Amino acid sequence: MGFSRYLLRRLGYAVIVLFVIMTFNFAIFRLMPGDATKMIIDPMFTPEAIAELKRQFGLDDPPLVQYFKYVGNLFKFDLGLSFSTRRPVVNELKERLPNTAVLFLASFTLTTIIGISVGVYTASKRGTFGDNFVTGAGLFAFAVPSFWIQLLLLMLFGYYIPILPIHGTMSAPPPDGFLLQFLDRIHHLILPAGSNVIVAFGSWALYTRNTMLEALGQDYIVTARAKGLPENTVLRHHALRSVLPPIVTLIFGALPGMVSGAVITETIFSWHGVGKYLMDAVMQQDYPAAQGAFYLIALAVVICNLAADIVYGIVDPRIRVGEGGAK
Amino acid sequence: MAILEVRDLKMYYKTLRGHVKAVDSVSFDIERGKALGIAGESGCGKTSMAVTVLRLLPSNGKIHGGSVKLDGIDIVKLDDEEFRKSVRWKKISMVFQGAMNALNPVHRVGDQIVEAILAHEDVPHQEAATRAEELLDMVGINPKRYKEYPHEFSGGMKQRVVIAMALACNPDVIIADEPTTALDVMVQSQVLKAMEDLRKRLDLSMMLITHDLSVIAQTCDNIAIMYAGKIVEYGNVIDVFDNPTHPYGMGLVKSFPNIKAERTRVRSLPGFPPNLLAPPKGCRFHPRCPLAGDICMEEEPELIEIGSNSHKVACHKVDMLERGVNIWEQ
Ligand SMILES: Nc1ncnc2c1ncn2[C@@H]1O[C@H](COP(=O)(O)OP(=O)(O)O)[C@@H](O)[C@H]1O
Ligand code: SF4
Ligand SMILES: [Mg+2]
Repeated sequence: MGFSRYLLRRLGYAVIVLFVIMTFNFAIFRLMPGDATKMIIDPMFTPEAIAELKRQFGLDDPPLVQYFKYVGNLFKFDLGLSFSTRRPVVNELKERLPNTAVLFLASFTLTTIIGISVGVYTASKRGTFGDNFVTGAGLFAFAVPSFWIQLLLLMLFGYYIPILPIHGTMSAPPPDGFLLQFLDRIHHLILPAGSNVIVAFGSWALYTRNTMLEALGQDYIVTARAKGLPENTVLRHHALRSVLPPIVTLIFGALPGMVSGAVITETIFSWHGVGKYLMDAVMQQDYPAAQGAFYLIALAVVICNLAADIVYGIVDPRIRVGEGGAK
Repeated sequence: MAILEVRDLKMYYKTLRGHVKAVDSVSFDIERGKALGIAGESGCGKTSMAVTVLRLLPSNGKIHGGSVKLDGIDIVKLDDEEFRKSVRWKKISMVFQGAMNALNPVHRVGDQIVEAILAHEDVPHQEAATRAEELLDMVGINPKRYKEYPHEFSGGMKQRVVIAMALACNPDVIIADEPTTALDVMVQSQVLKAMEDLRKRLDLSMMLITHDLSVIAQTCDNIAIMYAGKIVEYGNVIDVFDNPTHPYGMGLVKSFPNIKAERTRVRSLPGFPPNLLAPPKGCRFHPRCPLAGDICMEEEPELIEIGSNSHKVACHKVDMLERGVNIWEQ
């Protein structure tokens, strides 16, 4: 099977998954207990006003018609109006997305770099105090619920050592000047991103450590050492490079989980991103908003999965079939 | 003068149950341009000896004494960094036992050769690449395959790549540890022949480890027979094969009825190789030796020269054996 055919098939799956999510997404908010229309329709309104409001929000059509309109609108990037703010959901998501992207990218990059480095380090120092300590800490962070660690950090830095802002993406009146604003945002980013790293690096470190230990026992590592390469080159260029395919695959495979974890992180640290938006929307039974946010997150998950498939093909020459590969 | 002079070399593995004396007071020479074959049952310490010379020991392995003189310099005494830079691959390279996995699956074969060159020589990348292509050509691989990955090569071809890589820095000595055992019988002889041709052409010194005596008979000048971490018989291939003198060496050679015939079935000697955690006192071979007497259980025999031509044997009953008793036939 050629690499491009493989990709096409993956792409086909992705489209089907998105369609299913879309439908599910439509149904779930309508099946939730409670009547969402109460949010926007005051029973004191005149019947005419109620009818007009229902018409504006498209709530007077039969469900099937609502569904087709919803699908059609999705393709036009029209996610409807938020019940609570009466603004287009698309615009609100657009405002939130950069915040989420920043938090997500910072957490993801740092987690990967720190996790893999720690894994390589502990594998090379197998059995020493450093190895046991780091491995133990990683296991602990991996085993306890992430929100618990995040709440502890919140308490620690919000109350006992109040050196870090514990909510929001920037100070209420932002400081003057670009540089100060930039630093202010970084300052706000430390706790949420840092807590994500603490929560997630352990599993990367442990996985890297184990695959590294396995690789370090391979014959080609002895060859690399015999060639007189410096130990650092042996570790990175030979051992790490050869276990990168499974690690990268696993990392990309875990991206979806990180995306959904972002909802919790954003909620805990009041980070004005898509995740918090979703949470607020659900709480207020604002289903156009919830649907929109939910759909965006689902889209991110599907894209991450697709990215994992592509990346796997790139990092492992044995998979790169198109390039005169496996015979 | 010998290019490699090993004297009294000891390397033990530390385990929970004590020291495994895998290399115990081993001494031998490799002359310039000559090949020394190392024979012995599996587990007798052949690989351990090879990795001791290159100091590629696992974390529990430690050298407990002795010297390895390369061109007169004791390389056991060099510090790690200096040993890595000036000895590994540059002076002594190695073709490994697990030939099938000796190449890293995620790097192109050419790059793996270039890497060895660049680790030791200050040459431009392009020059190293050209040399890698020449080396591939030399071992009978189309240089165009430089950019291919190991999984695109057959077992025999991979081993040829490894041999090309071992030649990359013009080493003084090549250690080949069972270089062909992982290969098909047909391919084995081709690879061995390629190696032998190269060795003659480049005037290389080599240590060839194998449990296949016919290979040693065909390719080596000298032979050392190891038993339980020690060399029990050593000498010129012709002397040792014509006139094996140590009871173990005798048994080993006799179990190859026709040295020139390839791959005859090895008829193994009665008994088992000893546990190297607690080797037998005195001569380590005594539990299996038909000639064993009281002295054999008490005193360790030394490797002493018999006759001429530096044929050496470690046995208390060497006088009796020299008279030509055939102890392995009832
Ligand atoms: N890392 C190790 N730790 C402990 N014992 C080992 C280790 N490696 C090899 N040994 C033991 O050392 C002895 C010699 O092994 P080896 O050198 O591989 O023999 P050969 O190559 O002749 O088959 C064997 O008894 C083996 O079990
Ligand atoms: S020393 Fe004794 S036991 Fe050892 S080989 Fe010679 S005769 Fe046999
Ligand atoms: Mg071996």
